[in-house]
Amino acid sequence: MSNEHTVKSYEEELRHLIDSVIKMGSLTESQLIDSMDAVIKVDKDSIDKIIKSDDEINKFRSKIDTQIMTLLVKRAPMAIDLRETISSLKISQDLERIGDLSKSNAKKVKPLPLDLPEELLGNLKRLGELVIKQLNDVLDSYVNKNYDKAKEVWEKDEQVDDLTYIAMESVIDFLSKDKKNLDFSTHLIFATKNLERAGDHITNIAESICYLIKGEYLKGSRPKGKVIQQ
Amino acid sequence: MNNVKIKSKNLNVYYGEKQALFDVNLDLNEKEVTALIGPSGCGKSTFIRCINRMNDVIDICKVSGNIEIDGVEINDKNLDVVSLRERVGMVFQKPNPFPKSIYDNISYGPKIHGKGETKSELDEIVENSLKKAALWEEVKDRLDEPGTGLSGGQQQRLCIARAISVNPEVILMDEPCSALDPIATAKIEELIDELKKTYTIVIVTHSMAQAVRVSQKTGFFHLGKLIEVGKTEKIFKNPDNKMTQDYITGRFG
Repeated sequence: MSNEHTVKSYEEELRHLIDSVIKMGSLTESQLIDSMDAVIKVDKDSIDKIIKSDDEINKFRSKIDTQIMTLLVKRAPMAIDLRETISSLKISQDLERIGDLSKSNAKKVKPLPLDLPEELLGNLKRLGELVIKQLNDVLDSYVNKNYDKAKEVWEKDEQVDDLTYIAMESVIDFLSKDKKNLDFSTHLIFATKNLERAGDHITNIAESICYLIKGEYLKGSRPKGKVIQQ
Repeated sequence: MNNVKIKSKNLNVYYGEKQALFDVNLDLNEKEVTALIGPSGCGKSTFIRCINRMNDVIDICKVSGNIEIDGVEINDKNLDVVSLRERVGMVFQKPNPFPKSIYDNISYGPKIHGKGETKSELDEIVENSLKKAALWEEVKDRLDEPGTGLSGGQQQRLCIARAISVNPEVILMDEPCSALDPIATAKIEELIDELKKTYTIVIVTHSMAQAVRVSQKTGFFHLGKLIEVGKTEKIFKNPDNKMTQDYITGRFG
C-alpha cells in the first residue's frame, strides 16, 4: 500500500502547501532574529530592511490562503489531509502575527539611545534568544512531524513568561531610577511584551502541530509563568 | 447513542468457493444512518443484502453467522422472508420504478402485504408515502401517469416512497444517488435526514462527502472484512486504522 495519493497532482498540491508554510516559517524566524539583533545593538540602519521583510511574510500568507482554498475546493481533503490543510491555515496566521510583532519591535529601535546600559538589555536579550529558540524548535517539529518536540515547546512557554517578567522588572527598575528614561523605557516594555506575545503564537503553532499529528487537541491548559499569573 | 437495531455476529458469506464476507461483527443503531464505504467488491453491498435476505435469490450464495433484528435471528430457515422484507425495505443504485402509474408503484406493496383494504385507505397510504419522500407536491396532479416518465431524481424518490409505503423499520440504500445529478442528490440527502427520525437507515456509498453528510456512523470494508467502524466524524477526521485513512484520503494503491 502506497503512502502517496493516487492522484499525483493532489500529492504535489499538499507538498507545495507544506513547503510554503516551511518557507514562511523560515522567513519569520530570520525576521525575528534580525529585529532582536537591531534592538540589542540599537542598530537603526537595519529598521527599514526588517519592516520590508514583513511584506514578504504577508505575501506568503496570501499565497498559503489561496493554496488552501484551492485544496478545499478541488480535493475536499479528509483525515490527515484535512488536518494538514487546516493546520497550515492556523500556523500561517500565527507566523504572520509573529512577523507583525518583529516589525513592531524593529520600529521601537528608532527612539532608543545608542548608549543603553548592558544590565538593561541583558534579560531582554535572554528572552529574545529563548523565543527564537522556541520558534526554531516548533518549526523543526513541523518539518519532522515530531509530536514530542512540539509538546515540549508548548510546555516551555512557561519559561518565556518567567523571563518576560524578569525583563520587565529590569526595565521598570531602571525607569524608577530616573524619570527622564521614561520615553525609551516604555518602548522597551512594549518590545518585551511583544516577545511574550510571539511566544504565545509559538505555543499556538505547537498546538496546531500536535493536532495535525494525533488528531486531538492537547489536554489541559498550558503551564503559565509568573507574568501571566499576576 | 441509540439502541442497537441490527446486530451482525461473525457473519460470513460465500459465493460458491469465493468468500465475500469474513466474520463481520457490526452493530447498526436504531433511527440512525450508518454509511458503509470501501472499494468496489469489498463486500459492503453483500452485507446489506444479508439484512433483508436478498442473497437468498442467488443459488450459489451461502451465509453463516448471525444477523439479528431487535434480537431476533433473521437467518432462521423458518422465518417468513416476505414479512422480513416488509420490515426491511431497499432502494437500489438505479431507480427501478415498476412500469406502472405513480399511484400503482406505491399501492402495490401495501396491497400484497394486505394493507389498505379500501380505496380510501390506499389513497391515504399513497399520499403519505409520497409526502414522506418529498415527492407529493411534484406529482399529486398526475398520479395516473407512468412512474418511468419522471426524472431520475423523482424516480428515486418514488422508489423511496414505495419502500416506505409498507411502513418498514429499516431502509437499505445501495448507492442511491450514484445515478443522480447534484440537486437530485441533495434532495435525497435531505430526505434521508428526515427519514432517520422514523427509520433505521443503512447506506452504501462511494462518495466520502455523502457519507460525512448523511451518516452518524461509518463502517469501512476492505476485501470482505470490516476494517473499522465508528462515529462518522471520527472516521473522517482521525481514523484509527491506517488502511481506512489511506482509503478516505485517496492513497489506496
